[in-house]
Amino acid sequence: MTFAFPNLVPVLPEIFLLTALCAILILDLFVSEANRFLVYAFSQLTLVVTAGLLVMGATGAPISTFEGMFIDDPMARTLKIFAILAVALMLAYSRSYNSSRGLSRGEFYVLVLFALLGIMVMVSANHFLVLYLGLELLSLSLCALIALQRDAVRATEAAMKYFVLAALASGMLLYGMSMLYGATGSLQIPVVASVIQSGTADPAILVFGLVFIVAGLSFKLGVVPFHMWVPDVYEGAPTAVTLFVGSAPKIAAFAFFMRLLVGGMGSMVTDWQPMLIIVSVLSMLLGNVTAIAQTNIKRMLAYSTISHMGYLLLGILSGTDAGYSSAMFYVASYVLTTLGGFGIILLMSREGFEADRLEDLKGLNKRSPWYAFMMLVVMISMAGIPVSVGFFAKLSVLSAALDAGLTWLVVFAVLMSLIGAFYYLRVIKLMYMDEPADAAPLIADTDHRVLISVNGAAILALGILPQPLIDLCTMAITQSLRG
Amino acid sequence: MVQNYLAVLLFILVGLGVGVIAPLLGWILGPRRPDPQKNSPYECGFEAFEDARMRFDVRYYLVAILFILFDLEIAFLFPWAVVLKEVGLFGFVAMMIFLGILVVGFVYEWVKGALEWD
Amino acid sequence: MDFTTVIFSAFALTLLGAGMGVILSRNPVHAALFLVLAFFTGAGLWMMLEAEFLAITLVLVYVGAVMVLFLFVVMMLNVDLDRLREGFWQHLPLGAGVALIMVAEMVLVVSSKQFSKLGADLQPASETVSNTRDLGMQLYTHYVYPFELASVILLVAIVAAIALTLRKRKDSKHLDPAQQVLVKASDRLRIVSMRSEGDQ
Repeated sequence: MTFAFPNLVPVLPEIFLLTALCAILILDLFVSEANRFLVYAFSQLTLVVTAGLLVMGATGAPISTFEGMFIDDPMARTLKIFAILAVALMLAYSRSYNSSRGLSRGEFYVLVLFALLGIMVMVSANHFLVLYLGLELLSLSLCALIALQRDAVRATEAAMKYFVLAALASGMLLYGMSMLYGATGSLQIPVVASVIQSGTADPAILVFGLVFIVAGLSFKLGVVPFHMWVPDVYEGAPTAVTLFVGSAPKIAAFAFFMRLLVGGMGSMVTDWQPMLIIVSVLSMLLGNVTAIAQTNIKRMLAYSTISHMGYLLLGILSGTDAGYSSAMFYVASYVLTTLGGFGIILLMSREGFEADRLEDLKGLNKRSPWYAFMMLVVMISMAGIPVSVGFFAKLSVLSAALDAGLTWLVVFAVLMSLIGAFYYLRVIKLMYMDEPADAAPLIADTDHRVLISVNGAAILALGILPQPLIDLCTMAITQSLRG
Repeated sequence: MVQNYLAVLLFILVGLGVGVIAPLLGWILGPRRPDPQKNSPYECGFEAFEDARMRFDVRYYLVAILFILFDLEIAFLFPWAVVLKEVGLFGFVAMMIFLGILVVGFVYEWVKGALEWD
Repeated sequence: MDFTTVIFSAFALTLLGAGMGVILSRNPVHAALFLVLAFFTGAGLWMMLEAEFLAITLVLVYVGAVMVLFLFVVMMLNVDLDRLREGFWQHLPLGAGVALIMVAEMVLVVSSKQFSKLGADLQPASETVSNTRDLGMQLYTHYVYPFELASVILLVAIVAAIALTLRKRKDSKHLDPAQQVLVKASDRLRIVSMRSEGDQ
C-alpha cells in the first residue's frame, strides 16, 4: 500500500478551530444563562488563536498535504485571516442585538464558527470533493443561522428559499464537476488543469461542464440572473445574520472562483470570460437600478451587494494576475465596508425595534454625529468616492479590465457606479438634512463603539494609503499562482 | 458474483409468496357480506370524531432526522469493518476521530434533551 | 433469454410500476410506500451490477431512514388532497413539455455513437474484487480528509436540527420517573404531633 502519513502542520488552524468548536458546543450545555458571555468570550478567543496559528505558520511557497487535497498558499492564508477578522467583528457587533432577541444561544456562535470552518476548507481546497464539502458545510450552517429565529415567519421563509436555491446551485456545481471529471479523469484541480492544458480532453464536454460550474458559482456569489435569494435572505434574516451572510462568505466565493476557474480551468479563459461578462453586466445594471427603488435598507444593501459582486467579477474576468489581485483587494474592501454599514444598522436596532427602513436613518446626525459620520464613510466607500477604500477597489478592478482590452465594459461599469452613487448619497442626505423622528441618541457598548470607529478609520486610512493592502493581495496572488 | 445472491433472491420470492398467498386465500375463501354499517369507519363503536389524518408533532421529525444522521454513520462504518485489517492503525484512528466528532453531537443532543419525550 | 435477463426485466418492470405509482397515487402516504418499493427494486438492480455497497446503502439509508422521514413529513404537513390536485390541468402543458424535452434528450444521448462506445472496452471485474473493500481502502487512507469533513457536516446537521426544532413544551403533563423514585416519605407525609382530645 503506497500511502504516506499526511503532513498535519498546514492544517493546524483548521484542526484547532474544530476542536475549540466542539469544546464550545459542550461548554454551552453546562453554563448557566447568566454566564452566557463565556461562550462569546471563548468564541472570540478561538478566533484570535486560529488567526495567530495562521500568521505563525505562514510560509512563502504553497504547501499541499492530504495527497494534494489541501493546499496552503499565501492566498489561502490571507483570505482566511480576512475571514476570521470579518467573523470577529461581526460577533462583536451583533452581541447586544443578539442578546436582546434571544439569539445569543450557544448554537449561534457554534454555527458561525462552523461556517467559518467551511470557508477555511473552501479557501484551501485543491480537490473538487473538498471544495464541495466545504461549500456544503458553509451553506448548511448559514441556512440554520438564517432560520435560528424560529418564530419569525420571514426568517423561516428566507431560510427555505436559501436552502432550496443552495441545493439547486450545489446540484449544478456537482453536475459541472462530474462533466470535468468525465473529460479529464481526475478530481485534483492541478491534474485537471494540466489535462485541459495538454488538449487531450474533449472540448465539448469541458465547455458543457463549465457552463454548469459558472451557473452554480454565480448562484453562490448571488449575481444576476442567479440573485433571487439575495434580497429575501438579507431582509428576512435577523440583521446579525444578514451581516454575516454579506461578509465572510463572499471571501469564500471569491476563493471558489479562483480555485475552480483560474486554478482548474485557467487555460479556458476565453471560454469563461464571455459568460462572466454577461453576468457582471447584468449584476451591475440590475443591482444598481433596483436598489434605487428600495425603502428597506437591508434590501437596498442586498441589491448594492449584487452590483458589488458584478464589479468583483470585472477583476476576475480580466484573466490576468493583476486582475485577480484587484478582485481580491475588492473583496477585502467590500467586506470591510459592509461590516461597518451593518454595524451601524445593528447599533440603531433596539429591543423590539428593527431599524431596517431608510426612514430610520433620518436625522442621524442630530442624534449621534459620530455614528452618522461613520455611516457617511461607509456610504462613500460603497459608492466608490475618493478618500475611501472603495474608491481604490473600484479603480483597481476597472484598470485591470481596461488592461484586458474591455473598454466598453469599463465605460458601462463607470456609468453604473454613477447611478449607484445616487442611492448612497440619498442615505447621506437623509442623515444630514432631515429631521429625526426620534431624537434619542444611540446607546452602544464600549467595544461596539470602539470597533465601529476603528472600522470607519480603517476605511478612511486605506482610502488614503491603500498600497499595503494592494501589495499584500498582489503578493498573495502571484506567489500562489506562480509560486 | 451475481450467482451468490441466488439464495437471497429465492428468499425474497418465498417471503413475497407467504405474504401474498395468505391474505389471498383469506380473501378467496372467506365469506364476505358487506353492508354500509360494516364498511363505515368507527372509533370504538362511536361515530368518528375527526379525520384520521392528524398532524404529527414536529418531534417525530426530529427523531427521524437524528436517526438518519446516525444511520449514515453506519454506512461509513460498514466498509471500514471490511478493510480494518488492511488500513491498520491509520484507518482505525481516522474512524475514531470521525466517531469522536459525532459523539460530540451525541452528547449535545443528549444533554439538550432531544432524546427525551415528555 | 437467460435467467439474469428474466430477473433484470422483473426488477425493471417493478421499478417502472412503482415509479408510476409514486406520481399517480392519490394518497401521499401510498406514494411514499411506492417509493420504498422503487428503492428496493433499484437496490436489486444495483446488486445485479455487482455494486453491493451501493445497494446495501440504498436500503439502509434511504429505505430505512429517509423514507421514515418522508412519511413523518407527509403526516406532519397535513396535506390537503383536493388542494394538491388543484391546477393539475393548468400545469399539465408545461409539465408535458418538460417531459417531452427530457425524453427527446435521452433518446439523443442513448442513440449517439459516443454512448454505444462507452461500454465496449469494459471488462467484467474479476471474481476476487470486492467493491466494498476497494471503497474502504480508498476512503480511510487517501480520502481521509474528505471523510473527516463528512463527519463535521453530520455534526452541523445534528446541531441545526436540534436548534431549529427542539423546544420545551409548556403544556405537557409529563412526570419524571427518576424524580418520582427519589421521593422520600418526608416529602409526601408530614407528621405533626397533636394532643388528642382526651388529654385536655
